[in-house]
Amino acid sequence: MMSNEKKKRAINRLKTMYPLRNLIDEMYQRGVEASKIGKPTAWSMVNWWEADPILKAMDIEIVYPENYGAVCAAFGAAPAYLDRSDSDGFPTHMCGYARNCIGYAARMKDLGEIPPEAPMGGMAKPILLLASGSLCDARYKWFQALGRYLDAPVWTVEIPHPGVEESFREGAYESAINFMVKELGEFVTFLERLLAKKMDWDKLAEITDDIIKINRLWYEINELRKARPCPMHSRDFWSCMNASLYPAGDPKESLKLYQDMYQEVKDRVENKIGAVAEEKYRLAFAELPPWHDLKIFDELAERGWNFVIESWAYHPPKPIDTSQVSNPLERIAKETYQWFTGSFKGALKAKEYMGYFAYPYLEYARDYQCDGALLHPLLTCRTATNHLMLVQDRLLNKLKIPSLVAEGDIVDLKLFDHADTMRKAETLEEMMDHYRGVRREEGLEW
Amino acid sequence: MTEKERKGLDRVREIYQDRAHRAKELKAEGKQVMGYLCLYPVLEMLTAVDLAPYRILGDMEEPITKADACLPTVVCPFIRSALDLGLKGKYDFLDGVVMAHICDVGEKTSHIWRTYLNPSYFYFIDTPHTVHKAAQQQLKEQLKDFKKTLESFTGRELSLDKLKQAIKTYNRQRALVRELYDLRKPDPPLISGAETLQVMVALMSIPVDEGIDLLRQVISEVKEGKNGPPKKPARLLVWGSIIDNTALIRMIEELEANVVIDDTCVGSRAYFPNVELTDDPLDGLVYRYLVGLKCPRTFRESVFGETKKDYIKDLESRFGYIKDYAKEWNVNGVILQSVRYCDIHGYEVPGLRDYLDHIGLPNIYLEHDYSEAALAPLRTRAQAFLEVIG
Ligand code: SF4
Ligand code: SF4
Repeated sequence: MMSNEKKKRAINRLKTMYPLRNLIDEMYQRGVEASKIGKPTAWSMVNWWEADPILKAMDIEIVYPENYGAVCAAFGAAPAYLDRSDSDGFPTHMCGYARNCIGYAARMKDLGEIPPEAPMGGMAKPILLLASGSLCDARYKWFQALGRYLDAPVWTVEIPHPGVEESFREGAYESAINFMVKELGEFVTFLERLLAKKMDWDKLAEITDDIIKINRLWYEINELRKARPCPMHSRDFWSCMNASLYPAGDPKESLKLYQDMYQEVKDRVENKIGAVAEEKYRLAFAELPPWHDLKIFDELAERGWNFVIESWAYHPPKPIDTSQVSNPLERIAKETYQWFTGSFKGALKAKEYMGYFAYPYLEYARDYQCDGALLHPLLTCRTATNHLMLVQDRLLNKLKIPSLVAEGDIVDLKLFDHADTMRKAETLEEMMDHYRGVRREEGLEW
Repeated sequence: MTEKERKGLDRVREIYQDRAHRAKELKAEGKQVMGYLCLYPVLEMLTAVDLAPYRILGDMEEPITKADACLPTVVCPFIRSALDLGLKGKYDFLDGVVMAHICDVGEKTSHIWRTYLNPSYFYFIDTPHTVHKAAQQQLKEQLKDFKKTLESFTGRELSLDKLKQAIKTYNRQRALVRELYDLRKPDPPLISGAETLQVMVALMSIPVDEGIDLLRQVISEVKEGKNGPPKKPARLLVWGSIIDNTALIRMIEELEANVVIDDTCVGSRAYFPNVELTDDPLDGLVYRYLVGLKCPRTFRESVFGETKKDYIKDLESRFGYIKDYAKEWNVNGVILQSVRYCDIHGYEVPGLRDYLDHIGLPNIYLEHDYSEAALAPLRTRAQAFLEVIG
């Protein structure tokens, strides 16, 4: 009992995290309620703020099936949906979140309504499937495949993925932004036809502005984590990232909650209060955490492990000034493109050509002065896994930062081996101690 | 017989056995050889600045060892194999590399390739995901930039005339590939699927004009019809992810089947779409490489901006060409195949099967891991399928 209580206290959670976390939990219920009163719902891939403001300005309720995959996994509802996807002939190596959603949609089609066993109220029937061309193949192929079960149209939001060097070539930036703006314009026209109503451009400008403010604040909060001891653990990041990443709910409310959080984190920095009692090791975490086994972070915190930074893809863009841009679509395009390419300058200088996903870890590890990294490849999410060997190699060979690999999956929760990870953690500690000396010898700052 | 004297299918077999031989010879003669991955790098532009394009493929027979340190085991084994060969120095003869956003892992591997192998020339084409007008414009802007980099790398001008010339040459080669494929329409076909695949691999390993000569020889040899495959009850279409080794097709053709047409990227997918000769040749190239190429990596809608989805119409717009192939080549069964971990093809499987069921074509899906050993268990399944066709 004692040790349980102690474990619970090992990470000093932020008080301001709880209301932010609740926001996302309410998302599904809101979707279901909204559809009951005839409000349209879209199923949307995370689109890094490129389409969300537009959907919101058109009064469409958004649910994110990727996130719902994690919900179903946590509630134990995923296996039945996965089985259904498998028996309908989808290959089993595909993204677990996609298979979960496919199984869910198949069941919804059979029943003609939200499956009664669906956790958190389920996902309401969509009028639109908003796919995304960013980051992974699943994120548009999956929605295309849903055509078997749903008659909702699919729109794919484009976002350019230039190479690091190519992105700096003359005209590349302008051309990418122009492309995004045109595509977003088409998307607005499409929505106007779909809903038979006009876009309220002032409303769009306001929502865009709010989302940018949220992201700016969220960025500043994460900047504060560079302090020693780090005031905020990755667990708090994961609990709160969704209010930015899936900007569901009222942006003004989220903004207020992030403001409270900024204050709390700042106070901690000023008073040298760390997220773990005694910060012996500062670590980076890659990619999504083992959701069902988050207690492992408490055990690691007891050993003085503080997770000070995590995967790039869930972070907001590095701030740029778009306040003078009057067209909200252009503003959106510039912000999203900045999220994607924000580390490219450094990457080019370092001759690291995977400028997103991989290079940001090097940047973070240096800026947040990490001693080690815990890499969590996800069996069926190739996108979150592709780059990890490269990351491991570059961290060690360029920055003398050792890491540990602990495999897992996004829905097959049994794959993550807690005991084995704890065993490996001991070895990593020895390596982290050793490499501290190596870094010093090589003249690195920490 | 010396290699120069070897002609037609003998020459094809020779190139297939040692793909890099001719490229290395060309290099020794002072020609620059440019590697490219998958179908999206624009070959006409390479040829127009006098570079010899050489397609980067994997090797099913070579165990992957070095790539394990750079790419996790849960990604496309073809791409892991290609990277592995690169890391082992087997592509060291290339003067540069052009890669593109084919799929997620293809994109990431491009960056990994550049980071570890640091070729003297490298260009990454960010092929858009949709075929919208704005996407075509975006690709065109990139091709303009690609052109500049090729010119500065080679020190030669990529003139309009040369580009038009190259387009015509490639179209000629494509027409000859069609002609060769036409020789598979009779029953029995005049050339087997496995031999056709060898021809395709050979074409991707030598310059386009040499490929044209080779195709002419092969076509006239095949037309003589001396060594064609025997008549068999099943006439199959093979669909799916990359096949760059004859093992799978051979395995199928050793059963009661002839593979008479394919929809794969070392086959019809690479050669069937032509380039229209537009005033600005880049327009024709953009259209061909973005809209014309029928790889499922590109998102298509039956009608741009449709607000209501009609599933069958959607399938028709994505797979209708397969129905045309089936008719033209008189196909009575389809084998869908894919390497494991290929999301691009994986997501397509149930939809394509729905479509084939809808048009009454028996079909089966086979998944493999790009190794010869793994094909054995598939034989039994393929056999059972052929029994159903009768
Ligand atoms: S493969 Fe990964 S990134 Fe892509 S949809 Fe699935 S979980 Fe999301
Ligand atoms: S086989 Fe699939 S995963 Fe592999 S390179 Fe081709 S499209 Fe990409």
